[in-house]
Amino acid sequence: MSNWDISRLRLLMESLVSKDLKVRYKRSALGFGWFLLKPLFSMIVYYFVFTRILRFGGAIPHFSLFLLTGLLPWNFFSSSLSASTSSLLDNHRLIRSIYFPRMSLPVAEVLANLIHLVLALIVLEAVLIIFGHTPGLSIVLLIPAVLLFTVMAAGAGMILSIGNVFYRDVKQFVEVLLLAWFYASPIIYPLDSIGVNIIESPRLLQVLRFNPVAGFMEIMHSILYAGTWPAAWCWVSLSAWSAVFLIVGSAVFRKAEPVVVKEL
Amino acid sequence: MKPGAILMENVSLEYRLYHDRAVTLRETMLNVFNRSTKTELFTALDDVTFGVEPGEALAVIGANGAGKSTTLKLLAGIYEPTSGIAETGGRIASLLDLGVGFHPDLTGEENLMLNGSLIGLNRNNMKDLIPEIADFAELTRFMDTPVKYYSGGMFMRLGFSLATAVDPDILLIDEVLAVGDARFQEKCYERIWNFRKKGKTIIFVSHDMNAVSKLCTRAVWLNDGRIKKDGEVEAVLSEYLEGVRSKHDAAAVSPKEWGTREVWFDSVTIRDVSGTPAGIFKNGEKIVVDAVIKTRLPGTVNDVVFGFSLHRPDGEIIIGTNNLEMNEPLLSFSESTEAGIEITLDVEEPGSYILGLALTDPQARKDYHWQEFFYPITLLDARIDPPLRLSNVTWKQC
Repeated sequence: MSNWDISRLRLLMESLVSKDLKVRYKRSALGFGWFLLKPLFSMIVYYFVFTRILRFGGAIPHFSLFLLTGLLPWNFFSSSLSASTSSLLDNHRLIRSIYFPRMSLPVAEVLANLIHLVLALIVLEAVLIIFGHTPGLSIVLLIPAVLLFTVMAAGAGMILSIGNVFYRDVKQFVEVLLLAWFYASPIIYPLDSIGVNIIESPRLLQVLRFNPVAGFMEIMHSILYAGTWPAAWCWVSLSAWSAVFLIVGSAVFRKAEPVVVKEL
Repeated sequence: MKPGAILMENVSLEYRLYHDRAVTLRETMLNVFNRSTKTELFTALDDVTFGVEPGEALAVIGANGAGKSTTLKLLAGIYEPTSGIAETGGRIASLLDLGVGFHPDLTGEENLMLNGSLIGLNRNNMKDLIPEIADFAELTRFMDTPVKYYSGGMFMRLGFSLATAVDPDILLIDEVLAVGDARFQEKCYERIWNFRKKGKTIIFVSHDMNAVSKLCTRAVWLNDGRIKKDGEVEAVLSEYLEGVRSKHDAAAVSPKEWGTREVWFDSVTIRDVSGTPAGIFKNGEKIVVDAVIKTRLPGTVNDVVFGFSLHRPDGEIIIGTNNLEMNEPLLSFSESTEAGIEITLDVEEPGSYILGLALTDPQARKDYHWQEFFYPITLLDARIDPPLRLSNVTWKQC
């Protein structure tokens, strides 16, 4: 095969990501602003539900800011997964008429979302500082945490994109899965990162920690909201799950790739 | 491998063919119990071996489904052989499907940047090449227009121009030369000729035997996935054409389908005048052909000729005409359009006939989609129904 060296691959990824961003905001009046507006809207909804109706949010000071520290990364994760799920199928003609590393398709979707996440986090950090949540030294850990989480999303995206070629149900399934996953993750509630105990049963806490995204969400709460050092279990969980998703994802992708090309 | 060289050694490629493929999980679950889905391994290429020296121009010929396109896809690296070795040396430009990576909402230039990275151009290369590509495609004025506003011809022109802008060692061409108008086609051939003169390797798949014999020096004839003959182009061609002719007589009326499928019949229903699907028509009864026609070209495809033919079961053509010939307006299709023909026949000889349909653009010398010997119909005598009819009646009172 014609040589796909690093520089060529990098250019391909850049082009795919910039295409994704351009296409997404063509003919959209608010354009790039949506990357902030979407989490902001959902924050407002959750804020009212969990402080006015269910009322547990009252236990957490600046609950709206706490929500954002979880909602932004979750938005990144869920839109990465939904976008990469259909990435192979949407490009079937391209895949069948020219050779290029196909893994770039799901990964480009994740990277396009990562750009949004990074921009949104910068804005969020500014807001947090204004409201007195000055970050501690632990903020340096933000970069490795986000990178590991991106790896996890990419690995999951690879598996889902392949699955969706064989069974179109995967796309539907992902939507349902994401809904359940959202409530099972410490996004709208903390586990033990900010010193507020919402979950009383230690057994349930143990179970919830096993969730692949729990570690990352708790890291975000610790670093951004509480300004403390994240607990060790979070790092163990995040690194282990990221490694698992990356290894399984790329193995599945490589194994299925020659078959998928013929199935598309 | 030397740049421009190709080696196919005992290459086989199998597809899984699904009969009534289960596409959803539910269907799969059901099928686990009653095992009604049959998958069958279909051998598209069977132990194919040939080598190409740098600078050779090789044609791959054969009937539809003989494995020609599969061969190109293997060489382009899109498919991996099930067994055997397929190796190529140097940079490849593949003209398998033009403009396929173009995104309708992006401008011509944005699309060139994106697709340039897919075919392996770096950014500086691309900046230099864009004016040249636009110029060859004659689209310099439209570089900042989203390609969804391009006509089908413009779209293809840009695709061709980009695909051939790289300086490849091997050029793979799959019947995509029906690009634009006759003048532009000339230009395409000229460019391909220049590649030949520069000593690039060319692999050419085409049904146009004229083009094949002009461009190529050697031909490989594939038949059901195996090499039937490999040799000097004139010798292989004459034997192939001989074979086609004799085969034509034997299996005159098996359904045949071909074309670029840029515009295609997605579904066709033959109905009677009341709208019920029908296969039997009385003399003088209207035959209504309802078709859903789709296109994968962006925007609207204009000047389409919609034709039909009626063959006798022995293959002899009885009638064949189209809207151009009948001085009816030419048709335009966008993404998915319903179109139809209403045919009324005077039947001299009742019996079985086979209806064929075609979408073409003779001006651009394009066959979009032909379906020959496709829809069997039965034509009956003018049967009088009811058996008696009042001719005249009067009442008298005496």
